[in-house]
Amino acid sequence: MARLPKLIDGISFGLLSPEEIRKMSVTRIVTADTYDEDGYPIERGLMDPRLGVVDPGLRCRTCGMRAGECPGHFGRIELARPVIHVGYAGVIYDCLRATCRKCGRILLPEEDLDYFRRKVEDARATGGDWWDYSKEVISQASKVTECPHCGEKQLRIKLEKPTTFREEKNRLTPSDVRERLERITDSDAMLLGINPEVARPEWMVLTVLPVPPVTVRPSITLETGVRSEDDLTHKLVDVIRINQRLSENIEAGAPHLIVEDLWELLQYHVTTLFDNQVSGVPPARHRSGRTLRTLAQRLKGKEGRFRGNLSGKRVDFSARTVISPDPCISINEIGVPEYIAKILTVPVRVTKYNIEKIRNLVRRGPEVHPGANYVISPDGRRYDLRYADREELAEAIQPGFIVERHLMDGDVVLFNRQPSLHRMSIMAHEVRVMPGRTFRLNLCVCPPYNADFDGDEMNLHVPQSREAQAEARILMRVQEQILSPRFGGPIIGGIQDHITGLYMLTKRGVWLNREQAQQLLAAAGIEPHLPKPAKKEGGVEYWSGKQIFSMLLPKGLNLTYKAKICETQECARCLKENCPIDGYVVIRNGELISGVMDERSCKALSRCEVLDRIVKDYGSDEARRFLDRATRLAIAAAKMFGFTTGIADEDIPKEAREKIEEVLMDASEKVKKLIEVYERGELEQLPGRSLRETLEMRIMELLTEARDKAGEIAEKHLGLDNQAVIMARTGARGSMLNLTQMAGCVGQQSVRGERLSRGYRGRTLPHFKVGDLGPRARGFVESSYKKGLNPTEFFFHAMGGREGLVDTAVRTAQSGYMQRRLINALQDLRVEHDGTVRDDHGHIIQFEYGEDRVDPARTDLGKAVNVDKIIEKVIGVGGS
Amino acid sequence: MTGGGKSAEGEGEFDVTKHQLVPKHEVLSKEEAKEVLRRYQVKVHQLPRIKASDPVVKAIGAKVGDILKITRDSPTAGKTVAYRYVVRG
Amino acid sequence: MDRISPETIESEIRKLRGELPKRIVDDLRSSLLKVAKNVTLTRDKLDKIIKMVKKAYVDALVEPGEPVGTVAAQSIGEPGTQMTLRTFHYAGVAELNVTLGLPRLIEILDARRAPAAALMEIHLKGELSKDREKAREFARKIEMVTLEDVVSQTETDLINMEFVVTLDRDRIKRKGLVPSEIASKLSENLKSEVITHGYKLRIKPGTPTLPDLRRLAMKAKEVQLSGVKGINRVVIKAEGGKYVVYTEGSNLAEILKMPEVDSTRTTTNDIREIEKVLGIEAARNAIIKEAVNTLEEQGLDVDVRHVMLVADIMTASGEVQQIGRHGISGGKASVLARASFEVTTKHLLEACIRGERDRLKGIIENVIAGQPIPLGTGSVELEMARGERVGRG
Ligand SMILES: [Mg+2]
Ligand SMILES: [Zn+2]
Ligand SMILES: [Zn+2]
Ligand SMILES: [Zn+2]
Repeated sequence: MARLPKLIDGISFGLLSPEEIRKMSVTRIVTADTYDEDGYPIERGLMDPRLGVVDPGLRCRTCGMRAGECPGHFGRIELARPVIHVGYAGVIYDCLRATCRKCGRILLPEEDLDYFRRKVEDARATGGDWWDYSKEVISQASKVTECPHCGEKQLRIKLEKPTTFREEKNRLTPSDVRERLERITDSDAMLLGINPEVARPEWMVLTVLPVPPVTVRPSITLETGVRSEDDLTHKLVDVIRINQRLSENIEAGAPHLIVEDLWELLQYHVTTLFDNQVSGVPPARHRSGRTLRTLAQRLKGKEGRFRGNLSGKRVDFSARTVISPDPCISINEIGVPEYIAKILTVPVRVTKYNIEKIRNLVRRGPEVHPGANYVISPDGRRYDLRYADREELAEAIQPGFIVERHLMDGDVVLFNRQPSLHRMSIMAHEVRVMPGRTFRLNLCVCPPYNADFDGDEMNLHVPQSREAQAEARILMRVQEQILSPRFGGPIIGGIQDHITGLYMLTKRGVWLNREQAQQLLAAAGIEPHLPKPAKKEGGVEYWSGKQIFSMLLPKGLNLTYKAKICETQECARCLKENCPIDGYVVIRNGELISGVMDERSCKALSRCEVLDRIVKDYGSDEARRFLDRATRLAIAAAKMFGFTTGIADEDIPKEAREKIEEVLMDASEKVKKLIEVYERGELEQLPGRSLRETLEMRIMELLTEARDKAGEIAEKHLGLDNQAVIMARTGARGSMLNLTQMAGCVGQQSVRGERLSRGYRGRTLPHFKVGDLGPRARGFVESSYKKGLNPTEFFFHAMGGREGLVDTAVRTAQSGYMQRRLINALQDLRVEHDGTVRDDHGHIIQFEYGEDRVDPARTDLGKAVNVDKIIEKVIGVGGS
Repeated sequence: MTGGGKSAEGEGEFDVTKHQLVPKHEVLSKEEAKEVLRRYQVKVHQLPRIKASDPVVKAIGAKVGDILKITRDSPTAGKTVAYRYVVRG
Repeated sequence: MDRISPETIESEIRKLRGELPKRIVDDLRSSLLKVAKNVTLTRDKLDKIIKMVKKAYVDALVEPGEPVGTVAAQSIGEPGTQMTLRTFHYAGVAELNVTLGLPRLIEILDARRAPAAALMEIHLKGELSKDREKAREFARKIEMVTLEDVVSQTETDLINMEFVVTLDRDRIKRKGLVPSEIASKLSENLKSEVITHGYKLRIKPGTPTLPDLRRLAMKAKEVQLSGVKGINRVVIKAEGGKYVVYTEGSNLAEILKMPEVDSTRTTTNDIREIEKVLGIEAARNAIIKEAVNTLEEQGLDVDVRHVMLVADIMTASGEVQQIGRHGISGGKASVLARASFEVTTKHLLEACIRGERDRLKGIIENVIAGQPIPLGTGSVELEMARGERVGRG
């Protein structure tokens, strides 16, 4: 499989001249019929066998190749009368306006033309956009009323969209137009933005129509045996029919009017053949009423040729299925169902070193898992192992053969989840073939893929060449992507139970006997060489949870930081090691001395100190080892200690509930008073706001305060002994707001950031008086989720919820388009060897990337070099 | 302070180059310009541009064809230098 | 023992200037001087620290060929899904509206003229900024007042063919205006006769015809009586003992000319206006500042380097160019790149008559052609003399 040298160096664009169209045409198409009674294609019809082959087995009458090899060949239709190319109607209009109706010169004096000619030549020489001058030429020339070359008076020309030209009252037929365009000199054409080397102006009026080869418009045979033709074929049939009638009528000397009508009809059909969405032209339809998908439609849009087939291509060696979690495999791995592993293959070249192994694979064949599907001999012949005599083939293979063997453990594959918003949406994994029907992945890679397991599906691709495999393994492997280039912190890391598990293991007062300790270490995959027990009680040895966790940490790791649980409250003045909730984390030489492990230890997408330090100081191998083992240890710990949450976690004592009620009553009273003040017209207006707006703002303030107070009261009874609180405070899942809404009070519902007001005239629901501005009438939910919402509250809650849903939908569309534009604008930029950032034409965009040449993924949260950490490392910690 | 408060009395102008959003722009000498082009192995049109009508270009009196050295405060590097080629416009 | 003096540290640091970015050197200097006060810093240790800092910097450098454009685009685009859609009140100044979140980010990248909620932050000179009354006076001076803002009643008198407006006493007083001044402003602006009867102004159209009268009535309401054009609402806020003036609506050129204004710090959030008044480099800074603020306000962590790259490409041509069809994407040299973005057929048709040639230098063109792309490992080209043994095919 030799790498192809770069084949295409450039693509030139130009118009086809009538002669060229005739020259490249293999036949003139004259009949609108496609097949005869026996189902054979009619010669000189639209399915003429010389236009190429699509049916397998047949050979092309022109090039002699088979279907798939034959590229297809153009035919042509000789038009009885010329027609305008719709796409160029505007350009033709410009040409007509800017040139003399008699002599065909641009309506500007020779000096002006010389001036522009020089400009155009200069621009061409420097590779500039020479056609930009045409706008100026056209706008100046079209205002001239008398030709400076021959003195002819000019008449006003109008373009009636899409393709009709008029001069004053008279219609210019395409023939007239073409004649005028022919008179434009080559050097004048240049000034009109047309390059005569590749495109003469008159070629924009067609006299011959190329007929695309059948390979471009293959017919499909339905199950019923009925042949169904491509839309383009349908359209071409129309063109031929009308063209034929037109030429018959002309020959027969039919009245002018009839000829004109047919001519216009021909124009219509050619127009819609090119573009079936021209404004002002009724789109051509299929018999069923469906609009035809003609040439322009095939190119345009998301599913068009450019975006649908050329920028993104369909590939072989890929698979897709539902994903499910597997906490026992490494982050680098992926579980692949055996069923899929037997279909996807990797080509292996047979050498004298691997020949016996490969022979065995060939013998096992396609049905048994580590087997093979195809054998390719050096002469390029392909043997399908389903049908071949496998024993014989296994003996026959020699070094130099290529065997397409099944996907096996350890192979690299690319794994992807849409929408692929960043480069971590496609990462390389190592295969682990497993029973079952789903792809299995480690939970730590959920954040970069943004995956969950509520039915998400993902794609898998098998790189085939050795280069691709090497690149995937070295550059795209999961462990190489732990640090996100977006902010220079970990995007792969623990989530949810990993955090709670580590918290429960490392919090104060966790003592494990030998059996428990070894149980945990075994689950985490750590060799059970226990350190010295921290405590001995009644002759039994005990290890602390911190000791066990420390076994994951690399030697020499030093860290000091405040844990997440500490950040949230209480520790206004930190007591350091004596923190009542053990929120002051100290790690010395790989030993966790104090503090608990929570969000700040190894949660993905957060400022997680431990994981961050390990990747940056010890490299991705160590980081992978740490993550694999830490998460397994966390899960094992959670299983050992038990962790559950339920509705009872939101229970608060009766007194607290009463107190909350009091607070809410109080707020309600205050709002009432405020409204009275407003109604008396005594409210002090905020600058730049109306009275009504001022009132709303004041009420919102009061109610927010009330909800917060209610939350505070509830929070007092939600301590770290509460499982739901553990999740919220450690940052594993949920927030204290979620909990206080469940236990205390839900709070104000809003639409567009304002209290609810719409619904009925002057009120939100008929349950309230017209003009009631009180909290309850405007969407304040006093109940807690646990207590349950009353009907009006429930309705308001649904209103707020609906806005959220609509927002999400709109946002995905908007941000998707924004990202497409960003990518399109920036994709050609790259860092050069001199550190500059340049585009594909060598234009410098930045003189030094990021102004300091530093890769964001290698920074310490944006800082190129963390000087303090280096000094600390050299001088030693606690030196002061 | 004049009572009317119109922007009369010649006070109506301000110095663009003093604004905190505007970094230091300097015109390079012929030799310096050549050195820049040599260092980055580029032709002038491959440099970032600045229009002759740019208020700062006018303020420092640069002309079309000049190369400006711009010394920026950088959030990442502290200080950094960029160049722009003065074009018509 | 051989404790190092601060002077030695300074001289060692000086050697690093030019070799390492200024910020790293500054960081190192301040940290070292601080540490040296408490700990005995030996020559070895200093050398070791400097060596490690240098190594850390080299280790952090980007790899040549890195697709930094795509990475920047993804880094800014990916968090887009997590941003809010709504317009909120400005933090601190509750009275002013500011566009935030995704709509604001899109607005910045669109380089739109006149953003939905233009906002100016005006700093006053020296003493003025400390005097609340002076700041208020200034605010009143710049706030644009149109006739509409000070009338209590208007009528179109069809018999006398006049447009009659009744001024609101309170309001004109608050704005510091008098009827005669208003009348002269009106006649000057509308080029028509204005008769004053106390607080009643009768305006006569140029010709006594109904259409003219109607037009006059429309135009009269918009006549600017005082203030700066475009400054719609003004709010004063105390910040660190100084008064800062915030305005809804923006007119940087006029405001900067005012003698009261500190013309070094006063800014607007309208990037196009900054480009016009302060130049392309200021616009680049403004794009970075606005985009970073927008992302930060949403609590999104995006490295500045990505934002800087976007700002740099938007301003590379000398004028602020949009990220999109009417800017960078539309101006690409490659036909295929343009055709595959938006308005496919137009670009193909144009390329044909111009005889353009796509040189397949960019990314998308090579994807289309099915060839390796010139980025990363694809940017390395290896040239090898072909031996006789190797033939084609
Ligand atoms: Mg899902
Ligand atoms: Zn053929
Ligand atoms: Zn003429
Ligand atoms: Zn604490």
